Amino acid sequence: MSDFLIHVTIMAGIFSLLALSLNLQVGFGGLMNFGQIALFGCGTYGAALAFEQDLGMLTGLFFGLVAAAVVGWVFASIGRNLQADYWGIVTLALAEVLRLIATNEDRITGGAQGISGIRPFFPGLESRPQQLAILALVLGCVLVAWLLCERLTGGRYGLGLKIMREEPQLSASLGYDILALKRQCMVLGGLIAAVSGFLFAHYVSFVGPDQLGTSETFLIWAMIVIGGLGNNAGAILGAFLLQFTFAFVPFVKDLTGLPTEFVAATRLVLIGGGLVAFILWRQAGLIPEKTGRARHV
Amino acid sequence: MKKLLLAGLVLAGLSVSAHAEGVVIGTILPLSGASATVGEDQRRGIELALDQINASGGVLGKPLTIVTEDSAGRTATALDAAKKLVTVDKVPVVLGEFSSGVTIPVAEYLVQQGRSHINIGSSGLKIRTIGAGQFSVLGLDDVASDFAAQDVYASGARKVAIIVPNNGYGQGMASAFEKKFTALGGTVTSALLYTEGQTSYRRELQQLEAGSPDAYIYSAYGKESATINREGFELGLNDKPWYGLYLTMCISDSEPHYVEGQIGMDLNYIGPNGKGYQDAYKKKFGTDFTSTFNGFAYDGVMLVAAAINKAQSTDPAKINAAIVELGKDYDGVTGPIVLDADGQRSAQPYLHLKVVDGKAVVAP
Amino acid sequence: MLQFLIDVLMRACDLALVAIALSAVYSLMKFPNVALVQYATAGALLAILFQRSGVPVWLAIGCGVGLTGLIGVLLNEFIFSRMLKSGSATAMIGSLAVSMIISAVFLLAVGPTATRFALPISRPMRILGARITEWQLWSFGVVAGALLLFALLYFRTDLGRQMRATATNEVLADATGINTRRMKALIVLISGLLAALGGVAIALKGEISIQTGLDLLLPVFAAAILGGLGNPFGAVAGALVIAVAETIVTNTNFGPLLGRAVAFLPAAYATAGSFLLLVATLLWRPRGIFVSEVKRV
Repeated sequence: MSDFLIHVTIMAGIFSLLALSLNLQVGFGGLMNFGQIALFGCGTYGAALAFEQDLGMLTGLFFGLVAAAVVGWVFASIGRNLQADYWGIVTLALAEVLRLIATNEDRITGGAQGISGIRPFFPGLESRPQQLAILALVLGCVLVAWLLCERLTGGRYGLGLKIMREEPQLSASLGYDILALKRQCMVLGGLIAAVSGFLFAHYVSFVGPDQLGTSETFLIWAMIVIGGLGNNAGAILGAFLLQFTFAFVPFVKDLTGLPTEFVAATRLVLIGGGLVAFILWRQAGLIPEKTGRARHV
Repeated sequence: MKKLLLAGLVLAGLSVSAHAEGVVIGTILPLSGASATVGEDQRRGIELALDQINASGGVLGKPLTIVTEDSAGRTATALDAAKKLVTVDKVPVVLGEFSSGVTIPVAEYLVQQGRSHINIGSSGLKIRTIGAGQFSVLGLDDVASDFAAQDVYASGARKVAIIVPNNGYGQGMASAFEKKFTALGGTVTSALLYTEGQTSYRRELQQLEAGSPDAYIYSAYGKESATINREGFELGLNDKPWYGLYLTMCISDSEPHYVEGQIGMDLNYIGPNGKGYQDAYKKKFGTDFTSTFNGFAYDGVMLVAAAINKAQSTDPAKINAAIVELGKDYDGVTGPIVLDADGQRSAQPYLHLKVVDGKAVVAP
Repeated sequence: MLQFLIDVLMRACDLALVAIALSAVYSLMKFPNVALVQYATAGALLAILFQRSGVPVWLAIGCGVGLTGLIGVLLNEFIFSRMLKSGSATAMIGSLAVSMIISAVFLLAVGPTATRFALPISRPMRILGARITEWQLWSFGVVAGALLLFALLYFRTDLGRQMRATATNEVLADATGINTRRMKALIVLISGLLAALGGVAIALKGEISIQTGLDLLLPVFAAAILGGLGNPFGAVAGALVIAVAETIVTNTNFGPLLGRAVAFLPAAYATAGSFLLLVATLLWRPRGIFVSEVKRV
């Protein structure tokens, strides 16, 4: 397997975590989070700031997890009595505010120049074994996150989330504490996203505010809508499908001799067009949600 | 169906690796996203260099091919592109990008893979420590800001206001300028980092005006420079001197009468090769330089081509050695290029310019 | 002080028409159409293209705006109304996807460089120490005129009455013989025209690029939500509030407080200020300032 394929697989794995996290919030909990990238940013900046202070990788991971849990909790708390579309815009705005802070408080975050040279995973290994080890680490994290999500959403907790998504009033009358459910869901989603950010920071060795644009959130949304809302395997499939498609668009350009602008436009059309097509013709996504049965109850 | 298509793509992708015979090098540019204006300008420089090289016989006697990839200004996409160029197109050299956040990870990867990287657009200081095989054809350090601060101080201004874009380039320029200018004994009333892509910079300009500075220091490219110059004119701020950091790009999109009389600094395009380059650019694209980065891109490609010819090989190690050799005294369109022990451009000659009749000309 | 007022008004002009369009569509279609910010760019770009091809400027604007309105109706007919069948959140994501496709079209058709109308430029007039240019006045005139026309239509004509009836209770309106389908098509057309005019108003004062619409996205949403989505004229008030918040951040000199000549907050925080204002307002009034109807859970 060439280095290129290993790399694309690693990136797809990192995005799979983000997709699993967003799918937990949107697909199961019905929480229209448009600020997903902020949770990822907690992970990247946690890793980067810990690296700058020489605090070790695990401390960085810890920072990221705590920050993402706090941000998730705050997002959920603000959404207490907001309608879904209002809340979506609020999360979008808050994520943008966090990005602005990262850009402008350059004494802490390195500003627009970001923080570079972050220590890679397994620095002692040769290039090829190192790549393979990182691949194993990332895929391992995806596997754990997937099992966790399956476990959570297949059991009582998942049922609670689904009832909240479909019939909030009914779920409240059944004794579910909606706010607590939302907070748990956002915090759990935040933790998974933070792990993704942590992996990303140490893999690409650079963390900066440009990585936290709103368009990244839209990309993750496209992954879960295409893969299948409310299905964990679908989220992973969506992430892999989009990452691999993007990675191979440049080859089409080389083969056909089209200008490089074509690649940029194709990327937009693939996300946008893919979303439109799936919403119009295959709403359930590639792997539809499993309904009508619960396995771990 | 979609999976089938994807599988086809993967196969197609892996089989395309062999380009027509001849030397192939790669570039990674921000052709879409927030820095697309700069990326497009870099592409122009590369195109001019490619025309020039292939018109005079190519490299190692065969035409040179350049594979250009879009980074979209994203670290992740740029890494995809770098890995594609290295493992599939098998290029010995990659040139790029613009923002440090993309350049540094890409350069680290290339150096780790034993390929050469030529930095044609980022001025982040951390690039210096990436390692052997990494070269910069633009001055990192604070070469440009130091020159500008001394130049402004010499012009008599003591209180100045700065406005630059809120990105790595702008933040770097502003802080270095402020440091040098204060050390010289001047004051910076305010250093403002503007958000790119706004519909108006009127409020930002009024902020600068509030400090009643002796002069305005600014740097902007593309759309922003046009807006800032027009609004500065409308607000009547041009009764004070305006100093453009890289003046040519600051005024390229603006109406001549807004920028008449502005002073500033820019690279030495008047060198033995520079003038012809400026004309060639204008002839091919019909405008003045839209940013200062096309020249670096051009020099980067020309330097690589010269190095491959000198090494008589496409082995990266030999190319590196040739670049080091050439880098002792290379004449680029952006002036003489002298690389230091870290492969970074150590000095850059600058010119003090003034806008007369809508053209930036050398002022005494 | 007068300068402050002018700056606020100019910024509010940038936002008001697109925000009112967003709110008007929401009132009948019950989903926030993200693509409206792209209609603003499209209207201005088309008008500029018409002017370049030799059409007089005001006619060019008319053509550009009209064409954009038409595109809006078509997109609504073939895409958004079909997506709406599966919920407002889905339609919102769909409109986001359509925005991306429009971005790709812009990228290929116009490229990233900014353009402007070919208009003569003059020094600003000085009124009591404040500066205002001729084209700023024109832009203000366009916005004010459009708002006035829309208000007359909405509050003084039978058509407007039918629109408001449909917005308040669609089933009842249908029962009383109002052609609600036609009302929806009409409001979609009007909102497309308003958004395109909003873009033109921006282009009259300065440059416009393919990125302009997306940069407007959050402030426009903030304005519309502050005013209460679905309450068109609330959106105008929302735009004013956002403009005031932004201008306070950019125009307030904290220097005297700190014993320095000049000290401003970083200009980038202007947007952050308005987003935080939005979040704070929603915590206090979950459906915006000017909405009094009973909240849907």
